[in-house]
Amino acid sequence: MAEPKVGKISTQDRIRSLMGQYGIGVVLIIMMVVIAIMDPRFLTVSNLMNVTMQITINGLLCYGLCLAITTGGIDLTVGAQLALTSCIIGHLMTNMGLPMVIAVLAGVGVATAFGFINGFLIAKFNMFPFVVTLSMQLVIRGLSQVVTNGRAVMITNKAFAGIYSNKLGPIPFPIILFVIVTILMYLLLHWTKFGRYIFAVGGNVNAAIASGVSRFWVLVGVYTLSGLLAGIASVIYTSKTGSAQSNIGVGYETDAIAAAVLGGTSFAGGIATIPGDVLGIFIIGLIYNGMNMIGVSSYFQSIVKGLIIIGAVMLDMVMNKNNH
Amino acid sequence: MKKKVLALALATAMVFGLVACGSSSAPAASEAPAEEAESVEEATEEVAEAAGENAADVNGDGKVVIGYISKNLTDPFHAPINETAQTTFDALVADGTIDEWTGILDGETDPNKQIDRADDCISKNCDIVIFLPAEAEASDPALTKMADAGIKVIEVNSKSTSCDDVAVAYVGSDDVQAGNMLAQWVVDNCPDGGKYIHCNGILGNSAQIQRTEGMHAIMDEHPEFEMMEDLDTKWDGNLAANAASDAIAKYGDELVAIICDNDGMSSAAQKMCNDSGREDIICIGVDGIEVPLQMIKEGTLKATILQDGVGQINGAIDIVKAMVAGEEFDPAPVIPFVLVTEENVDEYLK
Repeated sequence: MAEPKVGKISTQDRIRSLMGQYGIGVVLIIMMVVIAIMDPRFLTVSNLMNVTMQITINGLLCYGLCLAITTGGIDLTVGAQLALTSCIIGHLMTNMGLPMVIAVLAGVGVATAFGFINGFLIAKFNMFPFVVTLSMQLVIRGLSQVVTNGRAVMITNKAFAGIYSNKLGPIPFPIILFVIVTILMYLLLHWTKFGRYIFAVGGNVNAAIASGVSRFWVLVGVYTLSGLLAGIASVIYTSKTGSAQSNIGVGYETDAIAAAVLGGTSFAGGIATIPGDVLGIFIIGLIYNGMNMIGVSSYFQSIVKGLIIIGAVMLDMVMNKNNH
Repeated sequence: MKKKVLALALATAMVFGLVACGSSSAPAASEAPAEEAESVEEATEEVAEAAGENAADVNGDGKVVIGYISKNLTDPFHAPINETAQTTFDALVADGTIDEWTGILDGETDPNKQIDRADDCISKNCDIVIFLPAEAEASDPALTKMADAGIKVIEVNSKSTSCDDVAVAYVGSDDVQAGNMLAQWVVDNCPDGGKYIHCNGILGNSAQIQRTEGMHAIMDEHPEFEMMEDLDTKWDGNLAANAASDAIAKYGDELVAIICDNDGMSSAAQKMCNDSGREDIICIGVDGIEVPLQMIKEGTLKATILQDGVGQINGAIDIVKAMVAGEEFDPAPVIPFVLVTEENVDEYLK
């Protein structure tokens, strides 16, 4: 992002830069207005809360993908990670009778460890992230089948179900968790040295190395974080469905990638913003909820979804082009 | 300045393009209700007058809104079910029996998405929701959430865990019976017994579990049969065909049957057998989708166990009608499976 850093930044420039980064927000607002006009029930507090609840899982996955994409990579394991964490939690709690905290920590821990392995393979052996995570996805999903023998494991623990359904005041816990993670991700990416290194590795890896950035630890850190986020997302998923099984999360990387791209994350690497991701995540969520609210036939929804994503990204590019 | 104007113009054009494509298919769905709104209002008033108050207006907002959460829009088995729901509910809205329906909500065979769709139904103030769970356990919160919100839920095709406790009705078939029928067909048609393989659906799906259970209940009592492999073929015809060619190579003439949890797999397996010159191998599965029925008509497949999906959804729609009319209904009608052979295939092949 060529943000002017020298001299005084005029208000005009600032608005331009904001439009360039968050122009996609215009799409979001227009979508909300159109949906609200067509069905006023969309704007009820309960439905808006409902949309926000629906986006939390995809949101967490999206942040992980955003990091991976920003370093010039990709993490295709997130869907399988959902399944593995879920199966481990279910197996430990229901089949082995371990306390919830241990099961959850173990599940999330294993997802994080697999994230680490992804990063290690990519960084140490210079393998293509696409190939590494495509293969690891098979390993991880296979492992989740091994853990549960391919069977669904029911989780009846009330406290565990509460992770999804408990509220703090009027706000459900997953939303609070999502907000906290969003803030942490924002700070990490935009305010820390590690964040700057991520952009550096994705933007120009040689320059980054020359200026002393450890490409190895940046990549390992990014993929480990992606694993951790997928693990947390899985806890919400499993608590929501009350069941651990190996066939969940198939294709979830698609929506997460779409949200990241909508949010301005560049596949060329080195460009991303967390607020942009949030907009992208909400747009994906609205596509699902909104189309059902206004009664778009489900047979057309997939087409509309694809067109909205392409259209929004195109709009974003047009806006950016005229900004630089 | 010029640049800015250009940027703005382009952006506006794109946004309009976007909105246009976003809503291009919406008018088809939204115009119709608008046209019908008036006649519906009149009709509801009549109904309300006749019945005192409408029993199907569960939440008392003066409207009868029906929700429909499908299992998915992609399985050939679910296509005619969804189609029947679409035409019937459109007609019920048109003749004023109900005020609105949600259209077919896509469950994407994903419990997480089904729970989201359940939330959407709650937001839309549905009174009655027809729900086809993707998973017995994982989809269950969709049912309990709606029930907690006061919605009357009718489950169709397969049960989720608390179906018996909180759903007002279940319309389905007994998958254990289907499994029995699979095995019985093989036993009847291979009196000498032999080796067979079993192609499973996605492990953990209730249909896979119960059909397998029903199959074993019969096969295990016949020691002349020996199960050589129990394969994770994921409802996938391609995987079943591979399994068939592997088994033919491994067991040769001793292989007499391939039992599949659905007939997408059994038809693919039979085709592989036929192509390998082994028309004698008996492949059988459950569902009664188009391809196997077509093969039965051609004579390349001997039989399939048809699950009457349209019968199931019609059963659920009858319950909705009964609720609207304030009549009593059977909360658990069982729609039987049908053995389809060349003798009765024409009844089911459209």
